[in-house]
Formats: sequence, structure tokens, C-alpha cells
Amino acid sequence: MSDSAAGGHPPAVAAPEDRAAWRDRQDRPLYSAVLWPNRSLGRGGRRFVLRATAAGLALPLLAVAATPVVWGLLPFAAAALGMLWYAFRRNQLDGRLTEEVAIWPDEMRVERRDPDGRVRRWVADPFRVRVALHAGARVEQYMTLRGGSREIELGAFLSPEERVALAGELEAALTRAVQAG
Amino acid sequence: MADAAVHAHDDHEHQGFFTRWFCSTNHKDIGVLYILTSFVVGTLSVAITMYMRLELMEPGVQHMVFEDGSPNGHMWNVLVTGHGITMMFFVVIPALFGGFGNYFMPLQIGAPDMAFPRMNNLSYWLYVAGASLAVLSMVSPGGNGQLGSGVGWVLYAPLSTHEMGMSMDFAIFAVHLSGASSILGAVNMITTFLNMRAPGMTLLRVPLFPWSIFCTAWMILLSLPVLAGAITMLLTDRNFGTAFFDPAHGGDPVLYQHILWFFGHPEVYMIVVPAFGVVSHVISTFSKKPIFGYTGMVFAMAGISALGFVVWAHHMYTVGMSTNAQAYFMLATMIIAVPTGIKIFSWIATMWGGSIEFKTPMLFAMGFLFLFTVGGVTGIVLSQAGINRAYHDTYYVVAHFHYVMSLGAVFGIFAAIYYWIGKMSGREYPEVLGKVHFWMMFIGANITFFPQHFLGRQGMPRRYIDYPEAFAYWNHISSFGAFLSGASYVLFIGIMVYTLRAGKKVTEPNYWHDGLGTLEWTLPNPPPAHTFEVLPTREMWDKQPAHH
Repeated sequence: MSDSAAGGHPPAVAAPEDRAAWRDRQDRPLYSAVLWPNRSLGRGGRRFVLRATAAGLALPLLAVAATPVVWGLLPFAAAALGMLWYAFRRNQLDGRLTEEVAIWPDEMRVERRDPDGRVRRWVADPFRVRVALHAGARVEQYMTLRGGSREIELGAFLSPEERVALAGELEAALTRAVQAG
Repeated sequence: MADAAVHAHDDHEHQGFFTRWFCSTNHKDIGVLYILTSFVVGTLSVAITMYMRLELMEPGVQHMVFEDGSPNGHMWNVLVTGHGITMMFFVVIPALFGGFGNYFMPLQIGAPDMAFPRMNNLSYWLYVAGASLAVLSMVSPGGNGQLGSGVGWVLYAPLSTHEMGMSMDFAIFAVHLSGASSILGAVNMITTFLNMRAPGMTLLRVPLFPWSIFCTAWMILLSLPVLAGAITMLLTDRNFGTAFFDPAHGGDPVLYQHILWFFGHPEVYMIVVPAFGVVSHVISTFSKKPIFGYTGMVFAMAGISALGFVVWAHHMYTVGMSTNAQAYFMLATMIIAVPTGIKIFSWIATMWGGSIEFKTPMLFAMGFLFLFTVGGVTGIVLSQAGINRAYHDTYYVVAHFHYVMSLGAVFGIFAAIYYWIGKMSGREYPEVLGKVHFWMMFIGANITFFPQHFLGRQGMPRRYIDYPEAFAYWNHISSFGAFLSGASYVLFIGIMVYTLRAGKKVTEPNYWHDGLGTLEWTLPNPPPAHTFEVLPTREMWDKQPAHH
């Protein structure tokens, strides 16, 4: 998964061509979507911020460049820059959670990649899948999918509106899949 | 695949006292801890000032004396240093940046917590350790065979490299820990602000308080490593025989001043910029109008923060800089009046034509406006290299920076407390007593510090335990003002105890009025442990037409 996939700009829901096609299926799905949590800073912004910080930290170092004092300041300036870089990276990794949904006439697949790299997959028959939105749950409009080996959640990190929209799209796609199947 | 968890319950609701307050990773709890700790340190620091003003009330040395009656100048110096270090590093910044920043910045941008909750906890405890060392430094063996070190909060070399005892090292370590805490906090705030804003909340739609915290975080990140480097070199000069700053061994003490003030001037803005954010919200709320000139306010804050890095040597005109350097620092300093003016006039324009309600937070915000402007104007006077020759190290400078910080920033803290106490505690403060607190403090602080301008103009030097008869009149009056302010502080403690124990319950989420546009007003009082786990929608926060 590239950096820009998870953690890109809003909208948090994207449906790029073929992204959700699992490696073993060659035929294009009727519907596919990649979901990721909201991150308000893009990759370009992150680069800009780090460069600006480096420039800001360099200012006092340049002023004392010809003196031994520069060796006293340099480690701390470098540590501050390193810490910010690490923080951005870590935050990016923490947010690198994706859920890929793909629907074919005969199969629905969901693949979830957690920040720690764990990949979990779920497969169901579109005919049996039921999309449910739970109004009373702690997460508003909590969405679950039933019909496979177990009940799963989907897009719990999205906004309630996005979940409602996604549920509509999924139901339409499932109807098409059942009709095509 | 995450299994469905429709009936997930909130484990955090059942935390024990120790887990909740000592191991907390919740930004709201950590914010409260910051505020409480800075309150404890602040009370100590205020007590020190009462004792100092008591000593300065009459010419001659009456109270800080040895058993034989001779003046104990070292003790005076220790108290000056202790007051400076605690207020600069352990009271004002932790209260506004660590306390209110932690509590309200994530809420106002719609983030569920800080980006790094455990690092947030680490920042807090480093701050506690630093504050403890600062207090310890005042009572551990120091210079002149006595307790504590009396070198001033700036820790100038060679005074600091020659001060005896471990007290000085404790003070340096205290500042180190404070710096580490602040840098970690700043990294956390910056990451949170940039990465975790609610969908659709672009940079120029973020409320002004988070912006003020963001600007402050940058100042911390860019300047505190410089201070950390400088004081580490002080430490090695003291303990390992290096000679960075000690002129006796070929070091350059003026270079230390340059480095210190490269940090020190942004430090002043770190103290006051979060107060800008608070005051903007308070004035907008109680004028029942969106803030005037939102974009200008954001850029003014960023401009003030950036300019703060290029004016440092106006603190040291008298060290023997070239005329050109002095001219540059003078002009650069005066330029800061431009973004500051934008802010002051925008606040006034916000009030203009508004339906103004003089509740306690608004009184404190208006007090801030007046006092900060007075402090700003005397700052422009002091920025003149020529005039500065006369005023340098006099009480005029003491009056100036207390108007900006003790009055400006501290009024900002009180405005924030009265504005948000209902949100944080779910209880209402007694309005009449709040107003009494304001007027006592406003009058007391002005009586304390305004006469100090006169004393400075008469030539009374700062940092002295005693003064000639000629300065007695205004010193006497100044001390009365200090006692009135001190009494107002005691009243404030009483108000807080009453509010938290017996204040009327506030159930309305937006208890000031319905038009409040920031996200904390959509939450119950106090907000639950977990907020915005589900991202807020745009309609919840985008109510102000000025945010376009």
C-alpha cells in the first residue's frame, strides 16, 4: 500500500479502478471501493512542513556556524527535527488502515489491512449479504455486513454520512450482482 | 476483519482514580492535570511576589535579613530567580498551552484525542519533574553558602557558571525537563493539528484557539532546542571544564545572551499567543458576532510568531553591538506592532455594533486588551535603542513585561477559566464573585505595575533588594496594589472551590448562547471521556460566515 493511499486527502471513500481486485481474480468487479480514515494533511504538506522546520532550525545554527557553540546546538536541533519526522511517520502509519470492498456477481470480498500489517479477509455470497446500519450503537450509524462466516463491521472510521452513503452504494451494487448472477 | 461490535461498551468509564489521573492518556484529563499543577506552582510563585513586595514596601531591608539584622541579598536574588523560572516555564505556558491547549484544541478541530496520547502523558510528567526540580533548586545548597541560586531566570554566564552548589544544576535540569516536555508537547500538537482535523476543516477554517496553539507549538519546536543546547553548554562549563561561555577561559558570555534571547523572545510570545486565541473566542461569544477579520487574525498570529525569531537582540542593546545591528533590531521590533495592531483592531471591530454582554470572561478579555496594549506600547518605547540606554534594567522594563505577561497572559488564563469552567466541570461559577475578582485584580495589578513606570523613569534599577528614600512613594503604592491582587487571587481560589463543589449544574451544552460555532459547544458538560470517535460533520462547526 503506498503512502498516498491511506492517509490521503478527503474524501475518505474512494473507488479507483481495479484497486480491490484480489490477486487471484482477473475479472473486473461490479463494484469496488477502498476506505481509509481521515487524515487532513497530505503527503506534499508533510514534506513542506518538514522542510520549513529544517530551515527554521538551521537559522540559529548558521548564526553560530563558525564557533564551537554550533556543536552544542546541533544535536538538539537535529533531535527536534527527527522527532517531528518520526511523529508524522508514526501518525501516518497509525492511520494506515484500509478496507477494500469488491463485489462480483458470485462473490463479495472485504479485505482489511490494520496499521500493524495484519490482513483479514471476508468472503460471502452477494445473494446472502445483508447491509445493516445500527442507529442506537455507540458509533453513530454503525454499519455491519452479515452473510459470510461471521458478522463484520465496515467503515467504522468513516463519518455517519459517509457510512449511510456507502451502505446505499453497497446495497445497489449487491442488487446488481444478484441480478447479474 | 474487525468483528462487529454493536454493543461495545466504554471501558474507560470504570477507571480507578490512580489509573485515570496518574496513567492518563486522555487529552482532557491531561489538560486538567496541567491546569491544576500550574495552579499549584503559580500559587507558590504568587506567594513569593507577595513577600518581595512586602520587602520593597519601605526603603531599607526589613524582612529578608540574617539573624544579626544585616540584609540577605542572596535570598532576594533567589526569590527573583525562582519567581521568574516558575512563572516563565512552569505556570503560564503549562496552563494555556498544556492545559487549555490539550483540553480544547482537539475538541475544536474535531479530533478524538491527541495524535500521541501516551507521549502526551510523558510530556505532563516531565513537566511535573521539571517543576519539582525548579522548586527544589530554591531550597538546595547554592551560592554564597546559602540555599538556592540567585542568577536570574535568564541564567546569564558567567554568573551561572560560577554560582556554587547543586542548586544551579537543579535549575538547569529543571529548564531541561521543561524544554523536553514542551518539545514533545509541541510535536504532538503540530501532528494533531495538521493530521487530525475534521473532514472539510481546511487550515483557514480552523478556529482561532487551535491556531494560537499551533503557532505556539512552532515557536516551541524551533526555539527550545536552542535553549536546551545553550543550557547544556552551561552545564558542561560548570561541571566538565569546557569554556563555551566563561570569559575567564576564553568563552563568550555575550554569545550566551544571543542564544538565550533567540529562545527568550519567542518565549514571550509562547506565553501570550494562546491568550490571543482565548480572547478571540471570548470576545466573539460575548459580542454575539463572529470574529472580525478571521484570515487577518490568523496571519497576524503567524506573523507575530515568525517575527518573534528575528528581534532577540533588542533585549541586549547595551552589550556593545554595532550601530547597524541595533538599527536592524530596532526596526524589526517595531514591525511587530503591525500584526499586533491588526489583532487589537480586529477585536475592537468584533465588539463594534455587537450585542455585548459583560460577563466575567468578557471582562477579563477586555482587561487583557487594555493591559496588553499598554504593555505593547511601552514595548515600542523600549525597542528604541537610544531610549533603551536609559531604561535598560530599570523598573520601566519590569512594568513593561508584567503588563504584557503578568497582566496580559494571566488575564487570558482567567478569561479561559471562567469561559470554559462550565464545560469542563459541568458547574457554573458565581457571576457576581467572578466580577468582584476581575475588578480587584484589574485595579490591584494596575496599582502594582503602573507606578513602576514612574520608578523606572526615575532611574530605579531592577533586581535590587533596597532603594533610596527618593523611590519610596511609588514603591509603597505598588506594594498595596500587589496585596490587592494577592487578595483577589485568594478570592479566585474560593470561587473555584465553591464552583467545583457547590456550583449550579450547567446542562445546556452551549451555555453562553446558541450561536457558538466551535465544536466543544456540541458536547455535554463535562464532555464524556471519549469524544468525536465518530468524525463531526461540517454543519456542526461551520457556522461562522467569517470562516470563508
